[in-house]
Amino acid sequence: MKTHKKRDIFVEGAIPASFIAESIAEHATATSIGGHEIFLGQVRADEVDGKQVAAIDYTAYRDMANDEMVVIREEAFARWPITCLHVHHSLGTIPVGQLCFFVFASAAHRQPAREAVAFITDEVKKRLPIFGREILSEGGHGWKENR
Amino acid sequence: MDVLLFGIIAEKAGRERLAITASDTRELRARLTDAMPFLASLSYAIAVDRHLLRDDRPLNGDEEIALLPPFAGG
Repeated sequence: MKTHKKRDIFVEGAIPASFIAESIAEHATATSIGGHEIFLGQVRADEVDGKQVAAIDYTAYRDMANDEMVVIREEAFARWPITCLHVHHSLGTIPVGQLCFFVFASAAHRQPAREAVAFITDEVKKRLPIFGREILSEGGHGWKENR
Repeated sequence: MDVLLFGIIAEKAGRERLAITASDTRELRARLTDAMPFLASLSYAIAVDRHLLRDDRPLNGDEEIALLPPFAGG
């Protein structure tokens, strides 16, 4: 299950909870795993100029983002003894309350899985060229910026 | 060469790519601000062949150039 090959992390639309459940179930046969760690990003109803965010429309420089994800993945595998690592990010319009980001690491023990997920989550936010247009409930829009 | 535009830059330009001729990244930046004056007030990075540009370098015209506004993933 340990592969460093390039995959497309992007999915069109929100990430359904059932997809997360299925991803967990797929690891039942990998019996060296003792712990899974998961981070789920959900679109938040932020306030922008006194208006509420109703949805975020995600776009990405897909080729560069997938290339950079390979590098981040290799960094994680070099630092922690993890068995599996899966990353998915949404594209398109995701309403508030829906999931847009899924990071999932599995390892023999909990600590490396926890640390790898924290690392991947931070690096994806920092290094992947993903852009978010905030659609406001009363019309108009803004552009999200990670801090 | 074709310059790929993303996010707020694509929105303000009203397009997702722009043809620019430049022999190095310094000239590229100047041509880009000529073509899109709004760039002067925006924060953005330049990617050359899918890598963030850190130091100015020559261009042969075959590179894939992209203008990247602040990232918002996650």
